[in-house]
Amino acid sequence: MARKKNKNFIQKARTLITNSNPKSPISEQYRTIRTNLQFASVDKETRTILVTSAGPGEGKSMTAANVATVFAQQGKKVLLIDADLRKPTIHYTFRVSNLTGLSNYLVGQNKLSDIVFQSEVENLSVMPCGPIPPNPAEILGSNAMTNLIEEAKNNYDMVIFDTPPVLAVTDSQILANACDGVLLVVRSKQTQHEAAQKAKELLINAQAKLLGVVLNGKNIKKSNYYYYYGSS
Amino acid sequence: MEETISLKEIFDVLKKRIVLILSLIVLATVVSGVVSYFVLTPIYESSARFAVSEKTQEPSEYNYSTIQTNVGMIATYNDLLKDPYILDYVIDELDLNVTASELTNKISLSSGAESQVVKVTVTDPSIEQAVNIANKTVESFEKRIPDVFEVNNVKPLAAAEVPKNPSPVKPSPMLNIAIAFVLGAMVGVGLAFLLEYLDNTIKDEQDIDKTLGLPVLGVISEVKDEDVGPARTTRSHSRSSSRSDSLGA
Repeated sequence: MARKKNKNFIQKARTLITNSNPKSPISEQYRTIRTNLQFASVDKETRTILVTSAGPGEGKSMTAANVATVFAQQGKKVLLIDADLRKPTIHYTFRVSNLTGLSNYLVGQNKLSDIVFQSEVENLSVMPCGPIPPNPAEILGSNAMTNLIEEAKNNYDMVIFDTPPVLAVTDSQILANACDGVLLVVRSKQTQHEAAQKAKELLINAQAKLLGVVLNGKNIKKSNYYYYYGSS
Repeated sequence: MEETISLKEIFDVLKKRIVLILSLIVLATVVSGVVSYFVLTPIYESSARFAVSEKTQEPSEYNYSTIQTNVGMIATYNDLLKDPYILDYVIDELDLNVTASELTNKISLSSGAESQVVKVTVTDPSIEQAVNIANKTVESFEKRIPDVFEVNNVKPLAAAEVPKNPSPVKPSPMLNIAIAFVLGAMVGVGLAFLLEYLDNTIKDEQDIDKTLGLPVLGVISEVKDEDVGPARTTRSHSRSSSRSDSLGA
């Protein structure tokens, strides 16, 4: 039964709601996140955002993809990078080939332009993970990664990273240090207080700038005032 | 932790676990009902009475002190009646397969304060047996008391008899069900609060604020099928399901 539930969840998560149904209240919520992110940093513009969570299955990839989409809908040139070199999923969401991707760039096989796909969303480019390397943490901490971030920043207005969970592996800590800001995804009724606290500590230890939290999967009652506003 | 729990929170917790509470109540009542009606042997009760009174020659001597003596003797009689000396006779007469001390447990005596009437109450799974034991006990007592005290002041009154529609005194199903109902409700409510206390997952924005102290940038509700919008995603289903298999494994 748990398996079936999981399957359903994955299938829904693979749908890009902000693109398929931009008028839904959920898409509206992603736009709220976009607005909040834009106001989160005052002095320095946040251009590289890392999306992570404490544990697996809390909605990182879904959040990353949808936030990237709403930024692109705003007219920004957005690059979504699947930096989850252990369990990549972005190529499923955007239905692109995962034969070449981030890992190829990091080991010096491909240039940035080779591994970026234009998605069906205007202004949104996607970089899949590529072949899964045996040493994700090492190659994410390499100079090639620093170069990639620089190069991406030169070509795009906004770069969004989808990463593995903080508590499971160290990858996101390494990347968090190199990014302008970190978005922590918390799943309602799943993420435990201790896990969230531990994740926050780990990210702060990595000198990451925590922009804020996205609460995912909250059971919002239909009577809420904004839920059906404007939708017929 | 100084935490105030508002009435609303209590209500919410109960509402959330209402199914659990209700099912516990139903389970408890059903189990107690089944046990009361089908498992427990019904116990019947029957009682016979005797009076204690000194036979006196002259009515004028029948005064307060005599009554007091008789009342005082009842206490002794109560002990005596439950003695094997009396009960062995009952066992012999009725061919009972019990010891005297086992029989003692079935017999209880009661008499009103200052009263000279003693009521012998016998409980037994069989109403006939209860009646027989009650009657035989009084009979045995009446016969044997002169041997002990050299007086003959026990007079049997109403003999026990089998009623037309005997109803068991124990178990009383309604009482059991009522107790089970209350117990089930208590356990259910207790369990609801225990689960709520043990559940340490983050649920809403307030929890995030309390634990992390980070701003909440957005709240995404559960994505339902109707939220996704016009269906256009049939192409990738085979791939996404294979992905979910690897996750579930």
